[in-house]
Amino acid sequence: MSEKTDVWQGTLALMVLRTLESMGPLHGYGLARRIEQTSGDLLQLNYGTLYPALLKLEQEGFIASKWGTSENNRRAKFYELTKAGQRQLKRCAADWEQTTAILARFLAPAEGA
Amino acid sequence: MRNLGSLWLRLRGLFGMRNANDDIGAELESHVAMHTEDGIRAGLAPEEARRQALIRLGGAEQTRQAYRERRTLPWLETLLRDFAYSLRTLAKHRGATSIAILSIGLGIGANATIFSMVSRFVLRPAPMSDPTTLLAVHTTHDGDQCCNSFPYPVYADLRDQAHSFSGVAAYNDLIPASIGGSGEPERVWGQAVTANFFAVTQLPMILGRGFATGEENAQEVVLGAALWRRRFNADPYIAGKPVTLSGHAFTVIGVVTPAFHGADQILYTEFWVPLGIAPLLAPNTPSQSERQFHWLNVLARLKPGVTPPQAKADLATLAGRFALTNPATDKGNHFVFEQAGSLPPRERNTVLIFLAALSVVVLLVLAIAGANVANLLFAQAAARQRDMAVRLALGATRARLRRQMLTESLLLGLGGGVLGVLLSLWATSALSDFRLPVPVPLDISIGIDWRVLVFSFALSIASGLLLGLAPAWAASRPLLANALKGEDALARPGRRFTLRNLLVVAQIAMSVVLLCVTGLFLRSLQSASTIDIGFRTDNLLMMSFDPSVHGYTPERSVNFMNQLQLRVAALPGVLSASVADVAPLSGYGRADGFRIPGSPDVDSSYVNTILVMVTPRYFDTLGIHRIAGSDFGSETANSTRVAIVNQAFVQQVLGGRNPIGVQVNGAGVLYRIIGVVGNAKSRTLGEETLPVLYRSLQQTIASDPSSMVGYTILVRTAASPNSLAQAVGSQIYALDRSMAIYNQQTMQEHIQAAYFLPHLAASLFGTFGFIGLVLAGVGLYGVMSYAVSRRTREIGIRMALGAQPGTVERLVLRQGLMLTLIAVVLGWPAAWVLSKLAATFLYGIQPHDALTFAIVPPFLIAVALVACWIPARRAASIDPMQALRTE
Repeated sequence: MSEKTDVWQGTLALMVLRTLESMGPLHGYGLARRIEQTSGDLLQLNYGTLYPALLKLEQEGFIASKWGTSENNRRAKFYELTKAGQRQLKRCAADWEQTTAILARFLAPAEGA
Repeated sequence: MRNLGSLWLRLRGLFGMRNANDDIGAELESHVAMHTEDGIRAGLAPEEARRQALIRLGGAEQTRQAYRERRTLPWLETLLRDFAYSLRTLAKHRGATSIAILSIGLGIGANATIFSMVSRFVLRPAPMSDPTTLLAVHTTHDGDQCCNSFPYPVYADLRDQAHSFSGVAAYNDLIPASIGGSGEPERVWGQAVTANFFAVTQLPMILGRGFATGEENAQEVVLGAALWRRRFNADPYIAGKPVTLSGHAFTVIGVVTPAFHGADQILYTEFWVPLGIAPLLAPNTPSQSERQFHWLNVLARLKPGVTPPQAKADLATLAGRFALTNPATDKGNHFVFEQAGSLPPRERNTVLIFLAALSVVVLLVLAIAGANVANLLFAQAAARQRDMAVRLALGATRARLRRQMLTESLLLGLGGGVLGVLLSLWATSALSDFRLPVPVPLDISIGIDWRVLVFSFALSIASGLLLGLAPAWAASRPLLANALKGEDALARPGRRFTLRNLLVVAQIAMSVVLLCVTGLFLRSLQSASTIDIGFRTDNLLMMSFDPSVHGYTPERSVNFMNQLQLRVAALPGVLSASVADVAPLSGYGRADGFRIPGSPDVDSSYVNTILVMVTPRYFDTLGIHRIAGSDFGSETANSTRVAIVNQAFVQQVLGGRNPIGVQVNGAGVLYRIIGVVGNAKSRTLGEETLPVLYRSLQQTIASDPSSMVGYTILVRTAASPNSLAQAVGSQIYALDRSMAIYNQQTMQEHIQAAYFLPHLAASLFGTFGFIGLVLAGVGLYGVMSYAVSRRTREIGIRMALGAQPGTVERLVLRQGLMLTLIAVVLGWPAAWVLSKLAATFLYGIQPHDALTFAIVPPFLIAVALVACWIPARRAASIDPMQALRTE
């Protein structure tokens, strides 16, 4: 699969939480680039949808934001994971692992046959 | 929780919008800058790098929009904006807005007023704890109408043997007493209750307690809160104090909650005594061992977990058992029940029909008002079509425009609702002033409670939405090209009957129905006021007293009344005086079947006859025509029973033969007829003329103690009766200082109360009919003026081509009359059919009263002519030059 894939519904939040957990506070642009890198540049992120998604996570209390200065001395809004966000990440990750495991069982025999 | 939290943040986001916009702007700006830098680093030209960054962002403005929608609640935001915009629009069209709100307000006010009656008499639960498990039980008998009360032994058996109830209590209807306390003795009404009454009803007490087990015969009394305030200055230490009831010493043990004045919510009673002590206050109280005399009302508290159907089965089993153990009295008896505090079953149907008829009428009024407002909104929509077209052309969706219009009509509905509730506040207090023509105290006051408020609110919302739907739909579909050119864009080509015309036809048709009903009730009031009641009502004073509640023996009572009659007749200014056990038109009266001795003793030979006890000079005092024979003289209890009958008695019982000297038999008692008098109305105004037999009070009072309403002295005066009230009262006090006087009034005042029903009906329907007529007139006027304004240019051309002003005027009038005629043709038969519903409440006229049905159509057409006249004149005065130059 060499074409770039869009982000599936609902997985963006998980990616954001996971990235913030491993990288610490990030600004929006950095977060977007990091997600693309992590996916091995297979994902094509629509930057326009990222900001409303970040706002939603913030309203739900999973992340917090504050203005700061970027590595290039540019004013930017930085996002970081909250305690609630860490718990949410664990829950979502577990759910997601279960889903993929189930799907894997369906797909495995089909390939074998 | 998360959702709630984010909802709160989004609500907060609604305010401080500007800051947020700056915030996201800055964030996106920094995003694009960083992306551009990366692009430059990767070797792109700065211009190209920025272009790529913007493309990847997917458009800064769209992102901003998505962000804003997430940040706030978009629907709430537009809703608030719609509201603000609508308020501005409504404020701008102040005239139209006032008319609309006034129309809806009148409609909703009428509905709220009638619904407050429904709420009071049908929906309100009794003011006792947990009313849903408290049942009012009645007895019924095969073949008889529902419902009857209980004999004491049946009540006792039910109480002891029923498994479904945790307690069963009984009380009698009314017991009169004269009560001490501050001021002159006052006659008050109470009830005698079983000792468990307060335990079963679980009534809250404001002080003291209710009766306890074992106090069946205790000389104790529980006071109503109003009585306690009125006669005992709300004494907080009253529990344990003595009080005199009709000369007997009672101990006050408690004061009950102000909301309670009797379990059935209609009778207004103010004190409660144990059932066993009742004979002390009311000597004619039936015996507790009598199994045939039905006189007790029963309340039963369901055991927890027992359902009404289970209780029904339980009662059916008991009825079967009692029929076996007491076949003579209980065979064919059954039990029925409903929730305590509901309308008494005997009156329920009449009340429900009356309320249903009123509800139909007020809904008609609201519908007429609604049609008016819808028409108005149509006119506004027409005036705003260019505005709408421009907004559509700029990309607003039709749904958005419709929502905007609906918000406006919703606001109108709510405004009307507020006005309506204010109007009904006034109307309910005016209605509560009506007095029923009965001598017992009733509480029939109505008011606005929470049920009425909820109802009015729902009605305002519903009417706001319904009214707005059609105009909103039409307004959101202008013919764009026409609108932008400044031509009428709502008028679809080729349609002769517009929705507005239909509305006005419906409106006038409903007015026809309403006016016919109104006409019927006004005619009914007119015919009621010309009813020949058979006696003279002027200069007649009435005053009631009841020696029996003061412990008088029949002999003492007769003595008292004889002396009183002599003393009062001797007063200067008094022409004559007489005492009767019931004054005419009091709404009640004793009756018995009468027959001539010798005729077969079967049901069909008995004629129902009203019995009245009077002292000599009764007929002279009232001005009842004496036709033959003599008046009562000095009859005594031991002499032969004599009677004076009215003409109807002669016709119906005696078949027209000469009555003097004839003996008649009533309930086993023989009377010799000594005189004949003219017919007079006895119980109610609306009654057919009934046979009446007058008995000598002196002769019959001992063997036939009167009902509980006491005796009334009637005084014929030379001058104004009120000027003698004090003198007559002081004669009563001179004979017995402690005698309570009540129902002191002139006969004219008394008669006013007898006109209660025709008055009430005529004022209600008259008001509604008038409102409906005015609304329909305004509606027709609105439609015709709109039609004229739309046809200005056409009329201008006609006149330029030589049409005379008179012709133009006729053109407009003809159109308005056409609509009216169609409406009358539709509405008249509907009124004809519906008027049958009103038949029960009409006095002396037929529901298909020819006069009413003949007058309403021409009257309505006349009103329509006036309503069309003004627009027609305007059309005729159009200056052709001016009209053609418009635009």
